[in-house]
Amino acid sequence: MTAGRILAIALIAVSVIGAIGLFVGAWWIVFVIGLAVGIALPARGAIIFSALFSLAVYVEPLLRDHLIYGLGPTATSLAAIMGYPHQPAIPIVLTCALGLLLGLAGAWLGSASRAFFQPAITR
Amino acid sequence: MRLANFAAAIVFSVAILYVSFVGAGPLPALGPAFNPATGAWTMAFDASIGRETQHLAGLQKTVRITLDGDGTAHIVAQTDHDLFLAVGYVHARFRLFQMDLLRRQGEGRLSEVVGRKALDSDRFELQLGLLRTAEQEWNGQPGPSDRARMAILAYTQGVNDRIAQAEFLHQLPAMFTLLGYQPKPWTPIDSLVVKGDMTQTLNFTDTPLVMALLAKSLGPDLASKWFPVLPPNPQSPYDPGPYPAQPTVAPLPAPQIGSAEAVAAADAYQRLASLPAGLVATGGASNNWAVSGTRSSSGGALLAGDPHLHLTLPAIWYQLTLDSPGYHVAGVSIPGTPAVLIGHNQHIAWSLTDAQNQQTFYYSEVENAAHPNQYQWNGSWRRYDTASYDIPVRGGRTERLTVKLSIHGPVITERGQTTTVWWAGNIPSQDLDVLLGMDQAGDWQQFRDALRDWHSPTHNFVYADDKGNIGMISAGYYPHVKGGQPWLPMPGAGEDDVDGTVPYDDIPQVYNPPDGIIWSANQRQVTADYPWYIGTASNFFDPGYRANEIHRTLSQGAKLSAADMMALQTDTRDFLASEMVPILLTVMPASPARDLLATWDYRMEIDSPAATIWWTFWQTSIAQAFDPWWKARAVPVDRSEMNDSLGQYLESVMLAGSTVCPPEGCGPMPTCPPKNAQECNRIPLNAALDKAVRSTLDTLTKTLGADPKTWTWGRVHQRTLQNLAQITGLDYGPRPDRGDANTPLAAPDFPSSHGPSWRMVVDWGSGTFMGIYPGGQSENPASQWYGDRVDMWWNGKYAPMLTADQAASAPGATTWRLQP
Repeated sequence: MTAGRILAIALIAVSVIGAIGLFVGAWWIVFVIGLAVGIALPARGAIIFSALFSLAVYVEPLLRDHLIYGLGPTATSLAAIMGYPHQPAIPIVLTCALGLLLGLAGAWLGSASRAFFQPAITR
Repeated sequence: MRLANFAAAIVFSVAILYVSFVGAGPLPALGPAFNPATGAWTMAFDASIGRETQHLAGLQKTVRITLDGDGTAHIVAQTDHDLFLAVGYVHARFRLFQMDLLRRQGEGRLSEVVGRKALDSDRFELQLGLLRTAEQEWNGQPGPSDRARMAILAYTQGVNDRIAQAEFLHQLPAMFTLLGYQPKPWTPIDSLVVKGDMTQTLNFTDTPLVMALLAKSLGPDLASKWFPVLPPNPQSPYDPGPYPAQPTVAPLPAPQIGSAEAVAAADAYQRLASLPAGLVATGGASNNWAVSGTRSSSGGALLAGDPHLHLTLPAIWYQLTLDSPGYHVAGVSIPGTPAVLIGHNQHIAWSLTDAQNQQTFYYSEVENAAHPNQYQWNGSWRRYDTASYDIPVRGGRTERLTVKLSIHGPVITERGQTTTVWWAGNIPSQDLDVLLGMDQAGDWQQFRDALRDWHSPTHNFVYADDKGNIGMISAGYYPHVKGGQPWLPMPGAGEDDVDGTVPYDDIPQVYNPPDGIIWSANQRQVTADYPWYIGTASNFFDPGYRANEIHRTLSQGAKLSAADMMALQTDTRDFLASEMVPILLTVMPASPARDLLATWDYRMEIDSPAATIWWTFWQTSIAQAFDPWWKARAVPVDRSEMNDSLGQYLESVMLAGSTVCPPEGCGPMPTCPPKNAQECNRIPLNAALDKAVRSTLDTLTKTLGADPKTWTWGRVHQRTLQNLAQITGLDYGPRPDRGDANTPLAAPDFPSSHGPSWRMVVDWGSGTFMGIYPGGQSENPASQWYGDRVDMWWNGKYAPMLTADQAASAPGATTWRLQP
């Protein structure tokens, strides 16, 4: 099995875990997974991997709801609640950005921990 | 370098997690709020309605709920218990956040979810005591009737079934998620508090405080003249008597207000004035009327009702039909309470307007200087009772509030003079049982008997039945005071206490009047011959223009139909304008503006420039007549707040050919020959009219341009339906709209956010049952039922009030099945 295929399977696996987490209300799951990924993978790989899976985890429910119910009125309403009527893109972008930032923050913290603690572990 | 990277990662992570878990500034906790699977986005799922089968705890048998195309819920239950459980369920399903806000408002718990900005409201509510009253109603003796207890308990179960279901499925309304809290379980007391909210909005008033300030600043003579007990202008009471002869209202001495009382009145008045709109009643505006079978084209009785309230999205009303062994009723209910408040059953229809009689009295307590916690009552010193509350404040420290209570009620201010308030809304009542009895009544006798225990707010309940009968009764508590001047704060020593109520048989009421019509529009219901004091003309009763217009229209002789009822509900003819414009035209020089007024039909339509000229002229006239007095006497009450009463007085003197002179007088009158005396007396009036017209035309030219034809009413008068949570992006409007404060289609203020909250027309002869309210059945702004009825309502259209069977076969209907 190639490294790429392993990564792809891992990406799908953590995305599924993340989606289940969101469904039970654990929105912070992407941060935790990002943290684990940051510790497990080299920094650059961890950042890219985390960006991909956290976006996938946060976009998938939106996409699914849009296909079933249509998210237009909901996005418009949320934008109005936020003080930006008629700008439905804002809550969508905010939601995706939130997922992305949580995943990236986890990955960064994981990578930084790994770098910070690794020399001591090596000695 | 590694340390710096590690530190930066920690800082970044903490920042992201902080705003996600806690929020920042106005932002909610972003994590739960924007979780795409369980956060605010679930309003998309909530907005989609399909066939469902739900299992609910507490149900005895299967219940069928049909939601028709506009979301009206038709509930068919096999037991009365299940009926009310299902009502609780559908209310919570579509209006849970609204219900939570309503109970929080009345229970003084808004600060817990919105922070310090609601603290004044919370303190006031806990002082006033809706919660104490509701607790007494539920827990005290005799407590609710068996019928009401069963209905409220079942309703509570239904609400809590939905809360549990929504929490389990992550389907709570988005506003809970965005505000970061979960609703507590519903209780029977919550339902009683929600009913109390309505009582307070319609009935709790600061008028005696205002009257005290007016009497102190203007002097007793002017205050009595401009703000009299009996209205000075032409009125249309629906109950012209005869009345019982016995107690007579003796002429009362001119009021004298001391300095300490004035300080107390000013303090309490300013405090109440600073509260959010709706907590203190500020005059009513509702219509209802009935036409007997002998006067209708169908041969059956007609009924029309349109209660006017603050127009919000979601609306205060939720429309439903109820079918069970004990109930067959259709109409509108208030989310949080189990009964239909306005509607019809198989035999009778009813609606209501606010009766406006005085139910709020203020008392100046005499305190013991040596023992500050004691006050004098009936010749002895009594200790104030106290009640203590904790008010949790979001983002702040919990506040402790101690409320002092005298025999009259809660202390409302201790500045200048300790003042307490007696309010009929604080008397434990059986009002919910009354509503259930009304829903079940089959004829006038049962209807009237059901209303016997109604306390507050006093309403003009109009009635029409399937036998062609009509009636109206202004049911409620009519406090009788032993002495004193009840429109002012009264001494609290005992001699001016409320000692009872007007007997039920003697309150305003009529049944099958000879002319076959009955009407109410918050006007004084009775003539000057009515032997009891029920309130002053100022601020309690409406000036009477809508009532006069409705009476005028219904009295015109022709047979009336349901279409005529609908036309009158949406009519914009201003009765006051029809009185005053002809007087104005006698002095107005020839001009395009005069031509517009001369050909005007007195209708306040969007495209009418005459409407704008008239309205501006009348406001200018009031200002020019009374502002000099306000300035000279430093009156501490906003003059515009008193425009109804001042306009009534100005109308009456103008109709008599006179006007209000400024403090320095109207100037020397010319010597007139006796045969021209009448014309001579009109000189001050003509001068006042001329001055007001010139000012009006100058103002309109400056603000709207030089061409009077372009001064259309829609340019200055708009209407807005405000989102209940004050999210302006979810408002409807502002949009140009017709009507004014005096028209049957009421639209006071600029922009107007008050008006017909529900329009219903019933024709028993043709079996016509129509209704509409501005808004929609769902509070979810993403739902098709959030505002789908607004355009119909705005355009004066109505929707048929379907039965459950009709709804089940109507296009777009969806059926839910609730099972044990």
